[in-house]
Amino acid sequence: MKIKSVAFAVATAISTMAVADIELMSPQKPGSGTSVWANIVATEFAKAPALQGENVVISYNPGARDMAGPNKFHTTKRFDDNVIMISHGGNGISYVQENVKYNYKEYDSVCHQNLNIIMSKHKGVNENEGISHAAGSGMVPEGLAIAMMIGGPGKTVDEYIDIFTDKVTWINGLKGSERHLAFTRAELTATRANPAQYIAKVQPLVDEGKVTTWLHHGILDIETGLTKDDPNYLGKRFEDVFEAKWGEAPSGELYSAYALIHSWRDAIQKALWVNKGNPNTAKFRQACNEMANNPESIAIFNKKIGKYDWVVGEDGNKTIDVLHSLITKDALTALVKFNKEALGLNSVYKPEMVSGEVVTTTSETKEGFWNSLFK
Amino acid sequence: MEFYLLATLALFAGIIYGLIIGIIPAAGATTGLVALFPFIVSLKSVDPYIAVIFIVAVVASSTTGDTFTSVLLGIPGANSSAATMVDGFPLAQQGKATYALSAAVTTSTVNGLIWGSIAFLLMPWYYNFIIMPPTEGGIGQAELFVLCILAFVTVSLVSNKFWVRSILALSLGVFLALVGTDPITASPRFTMGWDFLIGDGASKGISMIPVIAGIFAMPEMILALKNKVLTSTRSATNHTQQLNDGIKISFKEWKLSARGGIIGAIVGFLPGLGGGMSDWLAYGQTVATNPNEKIPFGKGNIKGVIGPEGSNNAQKASAFIPTVLFGIPGAPFAAIVIGLFGAIGFELSLGTDVMNNNLMENSLFFDSLSFGFLASTLITGVICLYLMKYLTAIAYVPYKYYFPVILAFIVWATYTAGFGVYGFENVFLLGVFTVLGLGMRKWKFSRPALMIGFILGDKIEMLGMQFFSMFNIGGYPLVKLTEFFSGKTVGNGRIAMALRDGNDVLQHPVFVVVSVLILVVLVWSFVSKGKVDYS
Repeated sequence: MKIKSVAFAVATAISTMAVADIELMSPQKPGSGTSVWANIVATEFAKAPALQGENVVISYNPGARDMAGPNKFHTTKRFDDNVIMISHGGNGISYVQENVKYNYKEYDSVCHQNLNIIMSKHKGVNENEGISHAAGSGMVPEGLAIAMMIGGPGKTVDEYIDIFTDKVTWINGLKGSERHLAFTRAELTATRANPAQYIAKVQPLVDEGKVTTWLHHGILDIETGLTKDDPNYLGKRFEDVFEAKWGEAPSGELYSAYALIHSWRDAIQKALWVNKGNPNTAKFRQACNEMANNPESIAIFNKKIGKYDWVVGEDGNKTIDVLHSLITKDALTALVKFNKEALGLNSVYKPEMVSGEVVTTTSETKEGFWNSLFK
Repeated sequence: MEFYLLATLALFAGIIYGLIIGIIPAAGATTGLVALFPFIVSLKSVDPYIAVIFIVAVVASSTTGDTFTSVLLGIPGANSSAATMVDGFPLAQQGKATYALSAAVTTSTVNGLIWGSIAFLLMPWYYNFIIMPPTEGGIGQAELFVLCILAFVTVSLVSNKFWVRSILALSLGVFLALVGTDPITASPRFTMGWDFLIGDGASKGISMIPVIAGIFAMPEMILALKNKVLTSTRSATNHTQQLNDGIKISFKEWKLSARGGIIGAIVGFLPGLGGGMSDWLAYGQTVATNPNEKIPFGKGNIKGVIGPEGSNNAQKASAFIPTVLFGIPGAPFAAIVIGLFGAIGFELSLGTDVMNNNLMENSLFFDSLSFGFLASTLITGVICLYLMKYLTAIAYVPYKYYFPVILAFIVWATYTAGFGVYGFENVFLLGVFTVLGLGMRKWKFSRPALMIGFILGDKIEMLGMQFFSMFNIGGYPLVKLTEFFSGKTVGNGRIAMALRDGNDVLQHPVFVVVSVLILVVLVWSFVSKGKVDYS
């Protein structure tokens, strides 16, 4: 009887508001990309036998360019054993080159999806004659890839910066779906998309023959620290496309910067974290494992996101170690220089991030009057 | 049978909740849906289509509910009725609350029904229109830019007769809109080191609710409490006469109502414009097209009620189109709607339904949407007209009795807008903007001008950057203009991009038409200066 279901729903909602068994902290508002992903995960995660029917709810923590949620987790929520932090690729980029409070080294990975970003361009567009692409702090890997694709091998960072500022129209202020519309109308000649966006918005244009899949950034192999091809878009890995165009593989400081920053964004593009020492870690990991092996859940993820593996448990922690190993002095220096001079971003060189040195949490940095007032 | 019973229940529950949330000052569809998020998501287990009907009913009815506090108390429910207040509140103070409200409700309902029907009928064709190249009459980034400029210039007519102060207020609004994240450097801008003000990086750092509540609602409440003014100047006589007159005038002024509807529909329909400006734009055109009024605007001219009320329900209706088809919020409430639909299984941006099938082929989803919107618009209109005698009674109750309740609701709405991360910060801002609003009211700085600057400031900045980097005028690449400011030569590749086929804005019909309109309105606004006696 559905009337009873309504009463049950009301009771459930009230109890949900009062006591949340497991809280997934999304860093965005409802409806934004990561929150959409979180909705799918929350539903499938809750089906895992390991959770024994525990309630899984999402809390939305937008603000501070999506850093507010992870910062809040780090400063106040991580000691709650039932709270799981969700991070996205942009959080990885910010972690490397901005002052943030969250620190992946202090967390255990529950599981994550090592996703990919796919770049497309309109047919007939020759990037060497000029190309337009949406700007944004999350677009750094695309900016680097475009500069190298136009410039070819053997250039210095300064030369790549000159090439970028000469050839690339880097357009600010286009949000996700607006960007896709502008690309569809050919006002932008190139764009990028995550797997879900690609399936929904770019693939139809490819099928119509208007657009070509240009390249993708690849999947991080945690055994080698290098990227491997994406089975969904074989032969389109940046390194392969670059080599096909220029006859040799990409290399040099800017390539190191590219490998560093796209891996920090894409390898942990959608990830679940708990504080180190959380007694529920094993249970959450088991639930994630069950979700990742549940055919019904797999079918849903495949349809909405594409065929991407889940990295569960200690492999997740190993991913973070591999990602930290990519942060070398030369790579980080080149990255910050390119960001500032080509993309106009106000990136920060954080020496403590460089491999081999002690990583300290930046929560010790000066808080400022207003932040302290509302702490 | 059971589905229809539940659908009807959901419809009425949504209408009643939406009306209540609309009547609460500063609250509106956005706050109401955020507050009930867990409940609505749990409706999924009953039937996700029931949840769709509930959501849409809340959105539609809250827009009408908004109007009541604007007219009766001079405090807008949410941004969709702030412009109505400028002439609606003086009418209420003259004892014509029912007249103003019945005109507003009738206009709003009629336009909601017309544009709701058109919007849902047009939905299958919308995609083809919105991807149409601007050279063939489509709307691209250049067109969005000039439409924003048109709104900015038109609404400058709303500025009060102290035009220098209005320009200052407008400038302050623009400045407040720019607080947040610098779109180029991605670093904090004008935030004084306060993380809260950084925002989400994709929109302004200061959210709408504390601004609108502080600038418009709180000053009226505080002054009413202090001066005990409202009850003594009102008369409850001739209710039926006023009701009839209000309905009649809304049909008599059908051109004004239709223009408001068209403006609202266009603003909601276009992805990327957002909905905040539609009622002010409609109010601006009302003032501009009625230059010789016996009753000045801002002093209780009924046309100042009909114009903006024509737009707000139409805008809500058409905003569903980009929201549903692309997952692009056509208005502030739409972002929450996208999230809610996602949580109950309808992924608007991914295009799948609860069964993971193509959402665009799910007729039950679209039927639920259109039924929910149209039925709730109609029923809300009827309820409001029928119960108006009782609803307007609040205007005759001394403020001291409900001041604490309204204050509590405003604080709750403001806190909720912070998603539990920045609730206290939002309440603090409410205090700051209350002081600002009181000062502006006292020294006659135009509060609508500040609001428009705030609504449009960041959009014009973003669209301006796109306009000056992507297009050319008659073969002159606009990006070359940046050389004057930066001193750096623009690269050949960037010039080539601006000169690509289709990027000459003189070949964009909509751009040319809107640009001419801007010039006309600009000249008009200089000639007429401030026409509204409201601050």
